[in-house]
Amino acid sequence: MDERELIRRSQQGDGEAFGVLIERFKGKVFSLAYGFTQDRTAADDLAQEVFIKAYFSLPRFKARSEFGTWLYRIAVNHAKDFLRKNRSRQKDISIDEIGENRLAAGEKSQEDLRSVEERRATVLAAVERLPEKYRVVLTLRDIEGMSYEDIARILDLSPGTVDSRLHRARQKLRQRLTTSLNRQGGDDGL
Amino acid sequence: MDCKKAERFLLRSYDTALEPEEKKRLQGHLEGCPSCRRKDREYREILGHLRPDFIPEPLPYFRERLLARIREKDKAAPALFGLKWAHRAVLFFLAVQILFGVGLLLTPREKTRELSRAERLFLQNENPLTETASLLNQQRAEDKNMMLIFASLDDRNGGRR
Repeated sequence: MDERELIRRSQQGDGEAFGVLIERFKGKVFSLAYGFTQDRTAADDLAQEVFIKAYFSLPRFKARSEFGTWLYRIAVNHAKDFLRKNRSRQKDISIDEIGENRLAAGEKSQEDLRSVEERRATVLAAVERLPEKYRVVLTLRDIEGMSYEDIARILDLSPGTVDSRLHRARQKLRQRLTTSLNRQGGDDGL
Repeated sequence: MDCKKAERFLLRSYDTALEPEEKKRLQGHLEGCPSCRRKDREYREILGHLRPDFIPEPLPYFRERLLARIREKDKAAPALFGLKWAHRAVLFFLAVQILFGVGLLLTPREKTRELSRAERLFLQNENPLTETASLLNQQRAEDKNMMLIFASLDDRNGGRR
């Protein structure tokens, strides 16, 4: 069925039509939520909240933008709320922890190398500590793989602003990781 | 090309292909700059870790659970609507009370009226009649004059009509 027709029916309270929309978009909304939360249960809950919000806001949806863009905008706003509420839960990366994770270069022995997952966890922990505006752009681009244009539409920014924020976000992320590493004594990068 | 510009090109190159000329300049810079080569390695590793190898599926029965929650919320919607307005009414009432209280506090109070001579005599438990009588007599003479003035005014108004 045509997306417009599904939206029109959903606006009139047709749960079945909205169910089809859920099926079409649940993957992307869940993936977006997972990109922000890095937790399956939290992402599931966040994605459900996004669809509930969308369902009750549908009567006000005027189709000025695509349904998907509108839905992702809701998802990003919910994700931002989630990040604010869970700020205290965010993991602080201490120099010691970086050391424990063996991100420091120069550790060549197989025994000392931790798994790629551990490295990834450390990088993601550093992402969690970025200021919100950088974290959102970085998540949408580097975790979700969205295009600059899509990010600009979802965040209601110009592509130029997306570009500069992304540039700054990556710089900050690298600086945070390497500063810790340099203090730790490594100087060959990650 | 300086390191700052090289970093900009470097970061852009991860998202999109650079122009051949830009690419050549960047490569030339990287060959002679170990610091930027290191940055390139670090950025590549960070970005590699950020891009997930796989994304898990939502928990089972996502759609069914969601539709059940929507139905539940739909039922509760009128009650929630009433509750929302009840909260607003309480807030409005409190705001009015506060404004009224502040208004009372800020309104300048009237100066204490000076007591008339008769009242003062009353308060002192003395008979005010003798004093009041003389006052009344004086007022009557004025009243008489006032009544004459008003009568003349009435005559003029009657003439106009």
